Amino acid sequence: MSKALTVRPPSPYQPPWADVCIIGIAGSSGSGKSTLSHAIVSQLNLPWVVILSMDSFYKTLDEESSRKAFRNEYDFDSPSAIDFDVLVQRLRDLKAGRRAEIPIYSFAKHAREKETTSIYSPHVLILEGIFALYDQRVLELLDMKIFCEADADTCLSRRILRDVAERGRDIEGCIKQWFAFVKPNFEQYVEPQRKVADIIVPRGVENRVAITMVIQYIERKLIQKSQSHRAALKKLGQSSEDDPLSNKVELLKDTPQTRGMNTIIQNVSTSAEDFIFYFDRVATLLVEHAMNNVYFKEKIIETPIGNHYKGLAPLGETSAVIILRAGAAFETGLKRVLPDCRTGRVLIQSNVRTGEPELHYLKLPENIDTHDGVLLLDPQMRSGGAAVMAVQILLDHGVPEEKIVFVTYFAGRLGLNRLTKVFPGVKVVVCSIVADFEERWIEKRYFGC
Amino acid sequence: MATESKAPVSSVGPNYRPEQQKPTATISKEVPFENVHTLPQTPQLIALLTMIRDKNTERADFIFYSNRIIRLLVEEGLNHLPVVAHAIQTPVGRQYAGVQFQGKICGVSIMRAGEAMEEGLRNCCRSVRIGKILIQRDEETCMPKLFYDKLPEDIADRWCLLLDPMFATGGSAIMAVEVLKSRGVPENRILFLNLIASPEGIEKFATKFPQLRVVTAFIDQGLDEKNYIVPGLGDFGDRFYTM
Repeated sequence: MSKALTVRPPSPYQPPWADVCIIGIAGSSGSGKSTLSHAIVSQLNLPWVVILSMDSFYKTLDEESSRKAFRNEYDFDSPSAIDFDVLVQRLRDLKAGRRAEIPIYSFAKHAREKETTSIYSPHVLILEGIFALYDQRVLELLDMKIFCEADADTCLSRRILRDVAERGRDIEGCIKQWFAFVKPNFEQYVEPQRKVADIIVPRGVENRVAITMVIQYIERKLIQKSQSHRAALKKLGQSSEDDPLSNKVELLKDTPQTRGMNTIIQNVSTSAEDFIFYFDRVATLLVEHAMNNVYFKEKIIETPIGNHYKGLAPLGETSAVIILRAGAAFETGLKRVLPDCRTGRVLIQSNVRTGEPELHYLKLPENIDTHDGVLLLDPQMRSGGAAVMAVQILLDHGVPEEKIVFVTYFAGRLGLNRLTKVFPGVKVVVCSIVADFEERWIEKRYFGC
Repeated sequence: MATESKAPVSSVGPNYRPEQQKPTATISKEVPFENVHTLPQTPQLIALLTMIRDKNTERADFIFYSNRIIRLLVEEGLNHLPVVAHAIQTPVGRQYAGVQFQGKICGVSIMRAGEAMEEGLRNCCRSVRIGKILIQRDEETCMPKLFYDKLPEDIADRWCLLLDPMFATGGSAIMAVEVLKSRGVPENRILFLNLIASPEGIEKFATKFPQLRVVTAFIDQGLDEKNYIVPGLGDFGDRFYTM
């Protein structure tokens, strides 16, 4: 992970994924931990509940251990096979709301793959593994501790079935491992975790009462998180209506043309064809204006007839991140100015019942932290909640505040003041200022639904 | 006008940025004519001009970056057209005291380089009528000569956006304006859109046609002995049409 992520001062905005709720599920091999976790996740069916398996944190084996592993003589069921240091670091990152790179362990190679999977922004994380309740440092990070229990013969038969089918082992090897490692380790290390558990779940996934209990617990946690997020958003960067706008907010010049275009765009009787044409035109102008906020360096060039000119060149690459769905209306304008612009996308939707902005999807350009400017596009800003969240996401991915330019067509003063108070380095380019709580209608007009 | 005076160098960048953080560049020369409008000298505009002036810029890039400046010119030029108040209701039921464009327009390109600006004009005004004027230098007299024109019949009732990217001595632009005036277009309804101008050309034009408005991206240092704009960008037509 890049250094920028660790030295940044804490942001005044606490997204709902900061202080993630972590649930640890431990238990013997084959006791149904992972089935239980999946049952919980599929019943909740929310994008922000994520399972983290401790299998990802097996240590990479040295040559000798690796040979042993291929002979089924390596003890994978002892706590010493797990890289708790890395696990604790990743859990702490997630707890702090940062992105965490999770190693991928290959059972075929007994080593970590070069690639990692990143986890970012879960509200609830289920940590599942035989030693989920083993390390004191992990225990301190857990909000709920579950121990799964099953009869030893059930565990053994499940384990044989799984290892033969999924991990390419033979029955004999499985049984050999069971008696050499699994059973003694269970008695010595796994079973004692019962003592620190909050709940002990017998019969795993068949235990409907236990699953319901856990789900209710998570749902309550999610409601609490949503409430405190909304309350925090409300308090964040509060301003009175007549507070002056920050000097980082640039309004498109009020010229006869912009007025004329705004008239056509806002007129309820404008045809869809005209609406799209004029919106694209204004969007192009907005992106052109936004580009004045990136950084330039001096450059002396020679013309074809041998004269010199002392001009400017962009310092580096400018990329864009579109806040979906509405932000996609800016795409034509963006591509007219920067046709080969790397374009990331975030889907942030306001919850219909609570109005809370929720992050559903995220895909950012790789190395976005090295780009010289990042345009954040959303045609309408109301209270600024989605904008604040989107900026926080960029910060969490290593983009410095000073490199972000938020581009919008309509904005309310409340949202503008909130965004610039919380993130004073962020620049905003806006076409016109409207009432604070104007409904988001631009996207409906642009996409026709 | 002191042509030999130094080109103005200034720091450019957004107002909130401290001076020492802004890079410096040569910016457009100031001229004392009210009817000449230069685009704001933003860092982005300077960077675009740097791209098209650079002899090492590839053909596709030259065309792309020229078109971006032309679009900005057209957007600025259209601001000089009249509008009338037009109140409307928005889809969310709010009233908006807007304006409506008034008057018919047409583009007139001075061939061949001026035609390069037609796309930019059409990007802002779909299906706008476009007339053409061909003016060439007479080999014998070295004076500009009108070879061909094709203009909308009702041109006298329209606002004319005269298009020519490079404005050096102003010979052909002056002749083009004379053509338009002879067809009944009043001087104050002609807008001349131009990328790079020479101070000499601007002065001649602004004094000769005090009511005509010029919108340009940049006024350069001056002309050299061959009447090329300095520093200029070479032959715009050749570069745009990749000859």
